[in-house]
Amino acid sequence: MEINKKYHSNSRKLILSTVLLSLIVILPIVALIISTVNIDTSNFKYLWNNLLFDYSFDTIYLVSITSFFSLLFGVLPAWYISTNNFKGKNIYDILLYLPLAIPVYIMAFTYSDILSYTGPMQSFARDYFPGLAGFLNQDYIQIEVLGVIMALALYPYIYTACRLSFSLVGANYIDLSRSLGLSRTKTFYKIVIPLSRVSIFSGLFLVIMEVLNEYGAVKYFGVNTFTSGIFRSWYSMQDVETASLLAVFLFFTVVLFFSLERFFNSRYNFNYKPNTKKFKSEDPSFSKKLVIHLMCLIPIVLGFIIPILFIIGNVVYEFDRIDFEKVLDLTSNTFIVSLIASSIIIFIAVYFQFLKRIIKNKILTVFNEAISLTYALPGAVIGLSLIIMFTSFPLKSEFLIGSFIVLIYAYVMRYMAVGISPLKSSFEKHPSSYDDTAVNLGMGPLKLFKSIHLPINKSAIAIAFLITFVDIIKELPITLILRPFNFDTLAVQTYEYAIEEMIPKSSIYSLTIVMMGIILLIFLKKIVNKEIDVSRD
Amino acid sequence: MKKLMYLFIALFLTSCMPNKKNSNEINIYSQRHYNVDEIQYENFEKLTGIKVNVTKANADELIQRMKNEGNNSPADLFITVDVGKLWQGGEMGLFQKFEDESIFANIDPQLLDKNGYWVPVTYRSRVIVYSNERVEKNELSTYEDLSNDKWKGRLLVRSSSNAYNQALMSSLVENLGSEETTKWSESVVANFARNPKGNDRDQVKAIAAGQGDIAIVNSYYIGLLLSSEKEEEINAGKSVSVFFPNQGEGERGAHINVSGIALTKNSPNKENAIKLIKYLNTVKAQETYVNNSYEYSVNPNVKPDEIVQAWGEFKKDPVDLNSLGTNRNEAIRIFDKTGWK
Repeated sequence: MEINKKYHSNSRKLILSTVLLSLIVILPIVALIISTVNIDTSNFKYLWNNLLFDYSFDTIYLVSITSFFSLLFGVLPAWYISTNNFKGKNIYDILLYLPLAIPVYIMAFTYSDILSYTGPMQSFARDYFPGLAGFLNQDYIQIEVLGVIMALALYPYIYTACRLSFSLVGANYIDLSRSLGLSRTKTFYKIVIPLSRVSIFSGLFLVIMEVLNEYGAVKYFGVNTFTSGIFRSWYSMQDVETASLLAVFLFFTVVLFFSLERFFNSRYNFNYKPNTKKFKSEDPSFSKKLVIHLMCLIPIVLGFIIPILFIIGNVVYEFDRIDFEKVLDLTSNTFIVSLIASSIIIFIAVYFQFLKRIIKNKILTVFNEAISLTYALPGAVIGLSLIIMFTSFPLKSEFLIGSFIVLIYAYVMRYMAVGISPLKSSFEKHPSSYDDTAVNLGMGPLKLFKSIHLPINKSAIAIAFLITFVDIIKELPITLILRPFNFDTLAVQTYEYAIEEMIPKSSIYSLTIVMMGIILLIFLKKIVNKEIDVSRD
Repeated sequence: MKKLMYLFIALFLTSCMPNKKNSNEINIYSQRHYNVDEIQYENFEKLTGIKVNVTKANADELIQRMKNEGNNSPADLFITVDVGKLWQGGEMGLFQKFEDESIFANIDPQLLDKNGYWVPVTYRSRVIVYSNERVEKNELSTYEDLSNDKWKGRLLVRSSSNAYNQALMSSLVENLGSEETTKWSESVVANFARNPKGNDRDQVKAIAAGQGDIAIVNSYYIGLLLSSEKEEEINAGKSVSVFFPNQGEGERGAHINVSGIALTKNSPNKENAIKLIKYLNTVKAQETYVNNSYEYSVNPNVKPDEIVQAWGEFKKDPVDLNSLGTNRNEAIRIFDKTGWK
């Protein structure tokens, strides 16, 4: 309240600036919505009557499987690593992040190749264990398998969120709960999970959005999600308006669920005091150790070791035919666009979070949420919305399409949510007394940001930057549709080979993506660990 | 920190500069992203000094981009692997007709566009492959026969969202009519060994794995499997044989689809664009295509790759290729109606 008064003179301008910024981010969606007014709805009705029920069923089923396994792979290891002492803990902690460096479609193509009849698993069995070969010869291109594969690529979103959150819950609550006689397991379910609810959900939100807008892997597995409906009307029925209408429909469905969640969760919006005391890490018993190792190793081995070995194997195999100049060229392309786009995202996201802190204003909160929601749209639809926007009346400027400005604009729009997610929890968790004190000391907003919020949120800002960066490295559909002439990224090149069923050729490019991702994620890991340590001091 | 900021801004601004206009170039929107295309463009650049700029993406996305860009589109040429999309672009008024008839000189007339909007560069057939172990060649005859009960639980094919399947269904609509085709599709779906999924190679692998006995695939995928460097893939390729359907007397021939080029309505570098099209249909460039991608040449005098020659010659369905576009919507509805996922 105090702060509100203090900054009142400035707050209007500041709010206006955020509204403008949000509008820039959201404007393409508005253009998309406008383009669907007055459309011929016959194809929409057709889809509605014939396909959307099946599509919705597949969507819900796939989202459920992926969510379940992402939570399993993300939450439990995070809990064990946060609260137990065991050998290999630090290595596990790093390895558990790394699947994030592997794009979902690469994970899917890789696994379908590994599992296929001509792949290493079945050939090996045929050569050495003929008895087993018959049993292994199954049709692995199934929705359930896809769900698990997607979870393997996506669970690190949840793992990251949980690791941070569990360490912030603080030992006090846990000790209290234990001394009240609750077991470790009960403490976990009754205290830690509810307290970490918001972060777990923010991780899960990213996972679900990724599942909703995945197209390549989903199509390959013969699964029809809602997004398949969008592309059915665009690519097959050649009706781009209906595709837009479906995208808008998907967008509002997500908005609705998102708002409902916010509404119900707002009751739990407690301002808990963060960590004041270090966890007393437990030395687990032998049988518990076994469970811990198993729970950590499953996602590591399946999500990282196996795919990476497979990719490296292909690279070695193709080594003589690799055009290293091209690899270098594409790496620098990828690096530059990702760097620019993620910097812009972080700048905007930090600005919003900071203002939200110092000015308690409804408009600000609404726009703050709104700019995250663009994540609900498939990349290709974001590309489409920008094309529509820059070729329609008030903003008509075709020469921009196919320029880097629009490409980066699209990245910013698409990945804003990824940048906001870690910042939000960090900016929210510090007690508001910090601000009050600062204001009483006569600090202006800029000073307040520089001397308080920037330092205390430094790690979160770095985390947000790195995660966004890694995501943009992997980006595919937007780059395909909006890129300038002769401009390729690593992801595009990987995809072009993979879709032509030339997985070995694509491997050097996917390996480069993964290596870039790994380097960044190891940085990320360092920062997260520092954060965890700092907050304990 | 500040220096870093400036660096960013400088980087951003330089990267945002629109490409300078250069008269000695061509801009292509292409769906083809095979290595062989890069080789062709490089050879063309060496020969003429004209720089080839390419943006590769899905055909429908490129069409949408051209449509929205309208008269200001930088694209000179549009290249795709499905005649349906070529027809659609022409229908939407995105292309111009070719004035210079010499472009068509070396091309099999059956493959040409009756409206004159596009030029084919290669073609491929959608064939049946069958297990050497479990199927006798004489059990196979026509596409129509795939609806026969004897294939129950034995037929493999990819999903109906695939353009090659859509083109095949469109050709059936053209030849048999909607009603007949719907009945056919119903029975074919009943014969599926599993739900449609995977790509064409996966169907062949599934035959090798014993999950089905026959599959509908594009001819060149067999070539790619047989020329793979992985022994297991070659084995999978060898476990099947290629069958061209509808070859009997009085039958129409196997379904084909073309890869083709169209000249955009306001092509800014029209002369260069025409040069490239002519180049791609020279014997040399056609040989480059067939030897790298196992497709068929549109020039009747250019022989396919040896692997492909081994399958023998075949009769092509003479249907007007544009009908693979005009019947597309009907084809999609038949897929949906009959539960072909």
